[in-house]
Amino acid sequence: MQKIYLKLLTALLLLNLTGCGYNHFQSLDEEAKASWSEVLNQYQRRADLVPNLVNVVKGYAAHEKEVLTQVAEARSKVGSMQVTAEVLNDPEAFAKFQAAQGQLSGALSRLMAISENYPNLKADQGFRDLQAQLEGTENRITVARNRYIGTIKDYNVAVRSFPENLTAMMFGYKTKPSFAVENEKAISVAPTVDFADKK
Amino acid sequence: MKFKLKTSLATFCTMLIFASFNVYAELVAVPALTKHVTDLTQTLSAEQQSQLEAKLAAFEQQKGSQIALLIVPTTQPEDIAQFGIRVVDAWKLGRAKQDDGILIIVAKNDHKMRIEVGYGLEGAIPDLTAKRIISEIMAPSFKRGDFYGGINNAIDKLIALAAGEQLPEPDHTTSNGQNFNNMLPLLLFGGLLMGGILRAVFGRFFGGTLTGGAIGLLAWVLGGGILAAVFFAVIAFFITLLGISGMSQMGGGVFGGGSAGGHDTFSGGGGGFGGGGASGDW
Repeated sequence: MQKIYLKLLTALLLLNLTGCGYNHFQSLDEEAKASWSEVLNQYQRRADLVPNLVNVVKGYAAHEKEVLTQVAEARSKVGSMQVTAEVLNDPEAFAKFQAAQGQLSGALSRLMAISENYPNLKADQGFRDLQAQLEGTENRITVARNRYIGTIKDYNVAVRSFPENLTAMMFGYKTKPSFAVENEKAISVAPTVDFADKK
Repeated sequence: MKFKLKTSLATFCTMLIFASFNVYAELVAVPALTKHVTDLTQTLSAEQQSQLEAKLAAFEQQKGSQIALLIVPTTQPEDIAQFGIRVVDAWKLGRAKQDDGILIIVAKNDHKMRIEVGYGLEGAIPDLTAKRIISEIMAPSFKRGDFYGGINNAIDKLIALAAGEQLPEPDHTTSNGQNFNNMLPLLLFGGLLMGGILRAVFGRFFGGTLTGGAIGLLAWVLGGGILAAVFFAVIAFFITLLGISGMSQMGGGVFGGGSAGGHDTFSGGGGGFGGGGASGDW
């Protein structure tokens, strides 16, 4: 009798462990994918704004070739990356994606900075509209990223906690990457303000 | 030895207390949501607040979408957008499936304002439109010190835009739900009476089944929902089966206690926000 009870107990325990853990991972995995899709959506939305922005700025500041080229290059780099949910399982690809988006962010902020020197450009309604859209999109990207980070945190905690990490190992669920602060070194250095006249 | 222990314990406790002091600047707390209009700076007079409140409540009643106004002194150390998304994540304005909420935030001392638009209204009020409302309607009025005028006109514009959007009709079953709660004692009494009569006519079991069926149907029609209808049907069945005297007191007690719950205070409908909208300053 005891042997049967022991077998029954073991079976029950095993069922319990895998039952609970496995389903939990399914829902967490799907949530992670969904929030990642949202992040991709918003990045795409930003990339779509860039060509119009570049055209408007060219109309007033065509000789600012360096910045305009940088923006165009960054935009095409981002556009050429095939990013899906699979990128979450590949930390290298994720880092590459983050780097490319960071490059576009930098180029865009430089573009908006030089537009300060062109009052006609600043007054252009088309430019102001694009500026509003860009701000809105940047905000959406921030919100989407924050939500992604929250979802990934739950997922990673589940993957790492005992006993669910056993289920995770069994079915191949690894921790997914989260957004790191890009280029921490650059941020820790305070920006220098240069009032020297450019001639 | 004892002395040393006491002093070191005291020192340790003091250190802990100091360590627990928040070194970082406190984030502005999300205010409680009780009405459409929340003015923490006394910028608007009571009359102005109630006028806006009436307008926004009427719009919610008519269209279902929830527009709210929040005036705070400052959102520092956060950006108004960061603060805004925290507030709407907590308040959840707008209906859950439609995500049709809008929040207007004014940070008076920061001279900043923001219109936060829910997912469902991003088509009617894209970022550009929100920006235009801010810069063309709100900012000029605010610069003159006319806060009520700027806010009132902005709300009118937002209502006009949201009203044009194809949204599902507001769900008036909440009023049915309240009706149901009020009808509970009536339902019970009616059930008992009907049960007694049917039992006399058809006998215990059959009478019970008929009563259960009738009460269940009535409960469902009154907006109680399938589950509640089944629940009451079963209860009515057993009451009739076992006779009035025993169960009536218990039943009365159970149902009497359950019919509380008014839906008078304003609360968010579970709507989601994605960071859409626009900010501005004056």
